[in-house]
Amino acid sequence: MELVQKVRVKNKMGLHTRPATAIVKLLQGCKCDVNFTYKKETINAKSILSILMLAARRNTTITINVKGADAPETMEKLIEAFETKFGE
Amino acid sequence: MPSYYVEDLYAQHGAALGLELIAGKEGLGRKIFVPEAHRPGLPLAGYMKSHAEKRIMVFGKVEIEFLRDTQPQTRVERLNILLKTPVPAVFVTRRYRPPKELHYLCEKHQVPLFRASMSTMNFISKLTQLLTEEFSPSMTCHGSLVEVFGVGVLIQGDSSVGKSEAALGLVERGHRLISDDVVKVKKREGMELEGFGAGLTQHHMEIRGIGIINIANLYGAVCVRTSKSIDLVVKLEVWNDNHFYDRVGLEEHFCNLMGVNVPYHVLPVKPGRDVVLLLETIALNHRLKRMGYNSAREFRNKLLEMTTGPETKKRGMRIGTGSESTSKK
Repeated sequence: MELVQKVRVKNKMGLHTRPATAIVKLLQGCKCDVNFTYKKETINAKSILSILMLAARRNTTITINVKGADAPETMEKLIEAFETKFGE
Repeated sequence: MPSYYVEDLYAQHGAALGLELIAGKEGLGRKIFVPEAHRPGLPLAGYMKSHAEKRIMVFGKVEIEFLRDTQPQTRVERLNILLKTPVPAVFVTRRYRPPKELHYLCEKHQVPLFRASMSTMNFISKLTQLLTEEFSPSMTCHGSLVEVFGVGVLIQGDSSVGKSEAALGLVERGHRLISDDVVKVKKREGMELEGFGAGLTQHHMEIRGIGIINIANLYGAVCVRTSKSIDLVVKLEVWNDNHFYDRVGLEEHFCNLMGVNVPYHVLPVKPGRDVVLLLETIALNHRLKRMGYNSAREFRNKLLEMTTGPETKKRGMRIGTGSESTSKK
């Protein structure tokens, strides 16, 4: 199962180390492949360095692509995390 | 492939090419379609059939002198036809002063007009080289790229299988890290793949339990490289008892990266297997193969010689050794 959705970075300082850690923590143990696409760059969202490499700023859009068995739950969790600014 | 514009070329390579913008500033947003440049000799003479209008135009000595020798009216007519096209930009080499009609029409049609100091042929080859580089297809892949004994090894595998640890082990043994986690790959001249690190995270590593570390600072400049060709792909995977792993190594496997076939190895990982040593061995064996010696094939040939070669010789040898031993007794 493959799901694609766009999300907006709401954090004031963009996708910095803390949100990136939150994403990696959230994806730990999930059985699907998760990719983020930002400015034509696609990366593996399970790797913190990859997320940090994007250096995504506030109010920019990231395309999330989730592929695998638990795709719907993973996507839901990710969107919620982006919406709640990763608890910031 | 993202679009490439004249302003990008001017900003990135203006100094290297010795460019000076003299007209058509409004046209800097023109798109460069193909990494090609040409000298419009025939179109200037009036032959417009099959004219490659998307190429960059370069006016050298001959073109400028030809324009000077033509009648002013013809000059305007022909330049007008040439500049109405989607031509990205016009370059005049050898610091020639462009005819005023060319200057005026470039302003009118908003085509950037540059003056370069290089000689025409040098300029064209340099420009083509830079543009080919900018236009070469690229992608981002997940894995670590390390230079091991001069061989570019791309280590891939699922997350937390130990890619970064393997790369760190290799660096510790004096090999060079190009990039960890995110490797950007560029296809050069349609044949060779070149990997390099991505801006911010270049030469950084993330190790579970330690965090982000800077390899260039920790191990010194000798342990890092900015780019390296990808000669080998090794996939690390958790040992699976049901999977039959290559035991002989006669068959060579390849994986397809951007249409280029790269030798590919699957390396099972389990406690007690020294991944770093195995990666070094794979790299060394690859070098040996490239030098024309394939250990597995040589071994098979020796074996085939013994099993299918003339039997008499073999029996004779055995008898010979047997008789020797008996004579000693």
